[in-house]
Amino acid sequence: MINWVGLYTLTSREVGRFFSVYRQTVIPGLISSVLYILIFGFTLEQRISEIQGVSYTMFILPGLIMMNTLTNASSNTSSSMLQMKLLQQLPDLLTAPLSGLEISLAYIIGGTIRGMVNGILVLLVGIVLIDLPVNNPAGTLLFIFLVSWAFSSMGLVMGQIAESWDQLAMIQNFFLTPLSFLGGVFYSIKMLPDWAQNLSYFNPIYYMINGIRFMILEKSDSPVSISLWMAILLTLLFTSLAIIMMQSGKRIKQ
Amino acid sequence: MQDIAIQIKDLKKSYKELHALKGVNINIPKGEFFGLLGPNGAGKTTTINILTGLVFKNSGNCFVFGKDTVDDYRYTRSKIGIAAQELSVDWFFSIEKLLFFQAGYYGINRTDAKNRIEQLLKKLGLDKKKNSRLRQLSGGMKRRFQIAKALVHDPEILILDEPTAGVDVELRHELWDYLKELHSNGKTILLTTHYIEEAELLCDNVSIIDEGKILKEGSPKKLTEDLGKSGVTVQLAQGIDELKIPTLEKNYSIENSRMHFSVKNPELAIPQIIQELTSENITIHSIKTETSSLEDVFLELTGKSLNE
Repeated sequence: MINWVGLYTLTSREVGRFFSVYRQTVIPGLISSVLYILIFGFTLEQRISEIQGVSYTMFILPGLIMMNTLTNASSNTSSSMLQMKLLQQLPDLLTAPLSGLEISLAYIIGGTIRGMVNGILVLLVGIVLIDLPVNNPAGTLLFIFLVSWAFSSMGLVMGQIAESWDQLAMIQNFFLTPLSFLGGVFYSIKMLPDWAQNLSYFNPIYYMINGIRFMILEKSDSPVSISLWMAILLTLLFTSLAIIMMQSGKRIKQ
Repeated sequence: MQDIAIQIKDLKKSYKELHALKGVNINIPKGEFFGLLGPNGAGKTTTINILTGLVFKNSGNCFVFGKDTVDDYRYTRSKIGIAAQELSVDWFFSIEKLLFFQAGYYGINRTDAKNRIEQLLKKLGLDKKKNSRLRQLSGGMKRRFQIAKALVHDPEILILDEPTAGVDVELRHELWDYLKELHSNGKTILLTTHYIEEAELLCDNVSIIDEGKILKEGSPKKLTEDLGKSGVTVQLAQGIDELKIPTLEKNYSIENSRMHFSVKNPELAIPQIIQELTSENITIHSIKTETSSLEDVFLELTGKSLNE
């Protein structure tokens, strides 16, 4: 039997936590996306006429949505879990009648909501500032949702593994950010040499970016079905991993 | 409903080379105020952390009202409220909001929790601070908040891990009064402490734990009677060299006009001493008793102090 009130309470705590510090958790992504559009888009657009038949600013926007979505989703769960560990808040959850599944789901839903809020806000910025055409709104939201869920789950895994802020920053700075940038946010992988193109196929974020780019612009370096399956696969993989780790308690109990 | 609130059977726990618990056995009847007494590092916190699900055991079992704390964790955890030794920190929410969250984790919705939270905040003198963040509270208030958090779902068992560690004397006495009140209202209380006075004043029964083993258990009074050495010092009106009192079973010493008796129970021994001395026509100037404490018992059992 599921402790629904407990699940709802922890979820609302997680959502309330990031909304209470929206200047740290929502506004920065929005500002940096606007800056990317203004600086990268409008300046480089003079030199790069079009990529795949769309303006450079429009080309990068789906990637910015994805980057904002996945970094926010993952950092919500990872930082919240680590904070709970370091500030002695975790015992409140572990001594309550909550299962590992319920705790995991509450964290993942909280991170998913933050990822979606951030992703949708950048999408709205694109619609308002550069008249971004959203060819498939449902597909766009589906990708934002799947990526939010997948990376929120990944963040929960990271938060359980990490024992210090330093370790967490290392995972984010050395893996997540480079993979995002190398996933084709600012370029089409067709512009890369063959070896680099081949390497990009091993980067899961490449598929996420191309998936949402297809849903918004109907342009993609790879078939959208592969992107969709990759998003589903990552979602299932990280969700299972996060829940199994939480249920085992190996990283959060002694 | 089981009469035994908490049962711990042969509980063992090791951290790599360190054997933190070496087969702990504890039985706490429903409604009892029970103390787990031992120095820092004795295994008190490890025992209650295993009981509440924070730490994995190596072997043994813990039961709450007859249900296993691993197999039936939802039931057993819903019966327990725990005030941890270490104070938690939260930067985001008011203390009232934190209490609502805590109630929610135990399946109590906002409407049902509202009255209970209001009552607890008032009872513990936190009602005027309900919109404050934890960091804005004094150390004593934080300690009271811990207790409010433990009681928010109205558990039948309250576990307090060193509840008065680092608090001033006034607050300590306030907390003791509140704990006595909770106990008189039927709560089963498990208290870990290394304060002798706390255990002696509050607990019906105590277990003395050291190096992961229970050394002795019983009521504080019985333990001090059985193992403690109380003293009765009689100051006589004039000095005497020697006196034989064959009816007094315990040894005594004489030094000029001062006699010192080593007895198990001073309350029983004093009338007998007075009677014997009076029958020998010896005038008593004053009588002083030195009551044995659990500290003496612990000293007797381990050869070291509780505060070591």
